[in-house]
Amino acid sequence: MSSLPSPTRARPRLVRSLLRLFTVQGSWNYERMQGIGIGVAEEALLQDLRTEGGADGVAYRAAVARGARFFNAHPYLCGLAVGAAARAEHDGVPPEQVERLRTALCGPLGSLGDRLVWAGWLPFTSGLALIGVALGLGLPAILGFVVVYNVGHVALRWWALRAGWTYGARVAQALREPLLQRATALSGPAMALVIGAALPLVAQYLSGAFFGWARLALAAVVAGGFALLWWQRARLTGLRLGLALLAVAALAGWVWL
Amino acid sequence: MSLEVQLLLLAWGTLVGLDLVSVPQMMIARPLVAGPIAGAMLGDVATGLQLGVLFELFQYDILPMGATRYPEYGPATVAAVSAAHAATGTLGLGLGALVGLITGMVGGLSLHELRQLNTRAVRRAAGALEAGDPRVLERVHAAGILRDAVRAAVVTALGLVLAQVARAYLAGALPPHGVALLNVAAVGAALAAGTAGTLRLVGRGPGLRWFAAGVVGGTVVAWLR
Repeated sequence: MSSLPSPTRARPRLVRSLLRLFTVQGSWNYERMQGIGIGVAEEALLQDLRTEGGADGVAYRAAVARGARFFNAHPYLCGLAVGAAARAEHDGVPPEQVERLRTALCGPLGSLGDRLVWAGWLPFTSGLALIGVALGLGLPAILGFVVVYNVGHVALRWWALRAGWTYGARVAQALREPLLQRATALSGPAMALVIGAALPLVAQYLSGAFFGWARLALAAVVAGGFALLWWQRARLTGLRLGLALLAVAALAGWVWL
Repeated sequence: MSLEVQLLLLAWGTLVGLDLVSVPQMMIARPLVAGPIAGAMLGDVATGLQLGVLFELFQYDILPMGATRYPEYGPATVAAVSAAHAATGTLGLGLGALVGLITGMVGGLSLHELRQLNTRAVRRAAGALEAGDPRVLERVHAAGILRDAVRAAVVTALGLVLAQVARAYLAGALPPHGVALLNVAAVGAALAAGTAGTLRLVGRGPGLRWFAAGVVGGTVVAWLR
């Protein structure tokens, strides 16, 4: 077991690990998924172990190898696993328990991140930006989106890494934080409300140049396209629908000469 | 369009492509950001905003979870804006959507290929990785990021070439009502995809009531404007 650096002393390493976490999916692959990126981020927190286990750093190398094995979760919350595993390595937790900790974290971190970010914070902020553009705010709405979204993004990454490092093998406690629970509960309804409001405004914005028959045709295409996407969701995607409709429109326009 | 502007778009598309998965996921890969910035580079923010909004709706149709395969709309939006910019007044949205959707499909396929290449690289380095060699670990990771940068640049370049071809051969080939049909198809498909994707996220629970309340509120505001 190594003596843990105090939070103040650990801060530069946590910052280095955080910066590496921004690249966590850079080597995403079908075998270890995010494992390599996680290993790179965790290595910044394992450097104290170099002096442990003999001159050739056996403990350090074994910890680095474990850190780079299979892992997959939400990229913004990976820091929780990185911090917790690194802390557990410092605490001298047995290797098989560190492995079990990493495995146990994949599912909860993936599901929490998907609900909180991909299905919450991201569509919520992007929906607000869509409303801003539709109401004529232009580029400031886009800039606002990038700034506001990333305040939440960076704060979440930093919280996750610090919480993992603080709790170590008891990291499950961090996932029960009231603020996190409340944010997860609120993000879904907030996203639904904002995107619901954005859709009619965006429809008006994009169809501003359409008149007469074109507006009727647009209503028919939206209704028909939505019905197809809803009932054929296993086979049909927005991309395929878009390409098919554009092909039909180009053919109809060419025949209509 | 000058070579300098094309190179600028290529650089922007590469950054946008890298942001999607590799570095730093700050959402410049969202069409809503990629489009207007590409538009600003071309001196045509309005077209960039319109196509950014259009492809953002297509983006709602997908959730970038784990190993799922999905189209890549960031570099696609850059190419779409490039196509639509020169054709403003003739084809606009429709031409941009056509170029963007094809580029988005190619981008999605390229992501799968990249992951295969990364998998092979990881297998080759398995011995050193299991020995805990930090230098090999960092090298494998850096090579993955570099590969993604090259992939993003190639996808953007293909999109920009496609935009050039579309402008040269399609702009002016369709009559005005054909152009209008193309625009209707593009906007209609985007709105349908955006609505269906959002409703899949919202589900049948209490979120549906919030969604309905939002639609009513948005409709009222649109009506009053």
